[in-house]
Amino acid sequence: MATAIQTRALTKRYRAHTALHDLELSIEPGTVFGLIGANGAGKTTTLRLLLDIIRPTSGEIRVLGIPPRQGGAALRRRIGYVPGELRLTTRGTGRALLTHLAQISGPVRPGSAEQLADRLGLDLDRRVRTLSKGNKQKLGLVQAFMHRPTLLILDEPTSGLDPLMQREFLTMIREARDVGQTVLLSSHVLSEIQQVADQVVVLAAGRVVASGAVTDLRLTTTRRVQATLTDITVDRLRALLSAVDGIVDASVTDVDASRSTVHASLTVRGEIDPVVRALTAGVLHDLTVQEPDLEESVLDLYARADDAS
Amino acid sequence: MNALAQSRPAALPILRRLLAEGGWGLLGWTAGIAIAITLYIPLFPSMQTPELAGILDSLPPELVRTLGYEDITSGAGYVQATFFGLIGFVLLTIAVVSWGAACTGGAEESGRLELTLAHAVSRIQYAAEAAAALLCRLVALGAVAWLLIRVLDGPAQLDLDPLDLLAGTAAWVSLGLVCGSAAFAVGAGSGRRLWAIAAGAGVAVAGYVIEALANNSDDLGWVRAVSPYAWAYQHTPLADGFDGGGLALLWAASLALLGIGAVALARRDILG
Repeated sequence: MATAIQTRALTKRYRAHTALHDLELSIEPGTVFGLIGANGAGKTTTLRLLLDIIRPTSGEIRVLGIPPRQGGAALRRRIGYVPGELRLTTRGTGRALLTHLAQISGPVRPGSAEQLADRLGLDLDRRVRTLSKGNKQKLGLVQAFMHRPTLLILDEPTSGLDPLMQREFLTMIREARDVGQTVLLSSHVLSEIQQVADQVVVLAAGRVVASGAVTDLRLTTTRRVQATLTDITVDRLRALLSAVDGIVDASVTDVDASRSTVHASLTVRGEIDPVVRALTAGVLHDLTVQEPDLEESVLDLYARADDAS
Repeated sequence: MNALAQSRPAALPILRRLLAEGGWGLLGWTAGIAIAITLYIPLFPSMQTPELAGILDSLPPELVRTLGYEDITSGAGYVQATFFGLIGFVLLTIAVVSWGAACTGGAEESGRLELTLAHAVSRIQYAAEAAAALLCRLVALGAVAWLLIRVLDGPAQLDLDPLDLLAGTAAWVSLGLVCGSAAFAVGAGSGRRLWAIAAGAGVAVAGYVIEALANNSDDLGWVRAVSPYAWAYQHTPLADGFDGGGLALLWAASLALLGIGAVALARRDILG
């Protein structure tokens, strides 16, 4: 089977500014592919190129085997798309908007839009312009999913959704994959991509800085660990932690000397296992391991790339 | 819950949506034009007085010519000077320019065009259906104006031939189409609503000013050749019937502008 999306040396320039630089993408059908990057990294540019909303300066694109410009309307019928900045200003109801959008996409199975709306807790009889940002986003998701497209292209699809709905959305993505749909989604939230994507590409300033299977991509090497322990002294804990590789920053303080309660705040780069083992020398009362934000991870990737060269 | 009224691909989806959503707007403009007609046209008999003739004689001839009031004592001249040449022209221009700008630059700035074009709609199809929507609304306004003036013809003692009235209305609608097409072309080419409005209004104002200049100077008569206003009205269709050459010019200009808009839209990036 052909790749769902393939780009070769894809470049987009705006006057002096290069928004996308020699992007090479290869997305297998039936997979979930994540595009990660901070704002302005080139995610939206990439997705808009795939839909022929904008045209490349140079390079090649194939979507479902066809260059988007050639594929035209017939190709887009097989795609469901949520724009990055979904601004819905229409006066009509959500139902009226979906009716219109159903007319300009693939055939929609009766009841399928309502089912999706129910699932996301969206009232289709409310006027679109009165909807909150989150509800507009839900409407965007419904219109992208409702005709069961071969390919879903979702630009920051969870923005504005509350955590419960984000979870429901991730379930919808997994279900889509299970029935053979291909999903390409962008996000600046790493955890969301990690939970659902098979493969990822990390973009920074229009270039790929990392790519591969989510599990291989050691993006989360820097973690913040907070722990509260009893039955251990500050000195003993410090000694134990100093023997662990990969702790780049540690602060161990006494909280309550009489009951020998100790607080440790650590920045860990590398394996988490030896750190947790060291901590269990005392009695753990509280432990949080925080993942780094995307910015930090990407900077970290740069740093490692520099180290390697 | 009801199922979506229509859940499969349908013919002319863009045209239908624009007409459905613009329904109230069209109704408003129709009302405005109807009010203008019912305010001005019935005054004609009361204007047929020696006093008015005296006032017109006492006005500077340049002003009379600029306003197009030379022939205001005939029914056709009166309807032309008050409605088709002035208030009707202004109302129609504002309406059609705002429509031409809204379906191009306006849709793009609101992000609506991106969502539409991400679906199974080609750029050319969008442009063609949006232009068709523009035309439908113009025809609706033209029909209302013709009908209303026709109804008032007897009471207002206008003595207009129905076919000549149709010729005048066609010239009016076609002139509006040129202005709307200019807005459409610039909106489709630039993605900017304000630029589109400026272009449409610019064509209307320039056409009117050129006509006024030409009316006041025999030496400047040749500039009429570039004024859509003159193409529409210089051969007084309300009195003398259809002016095939003028209508052909208006439609050729409109179609050229709409075509340029469609091609420009098809070739460029949609703004985010």
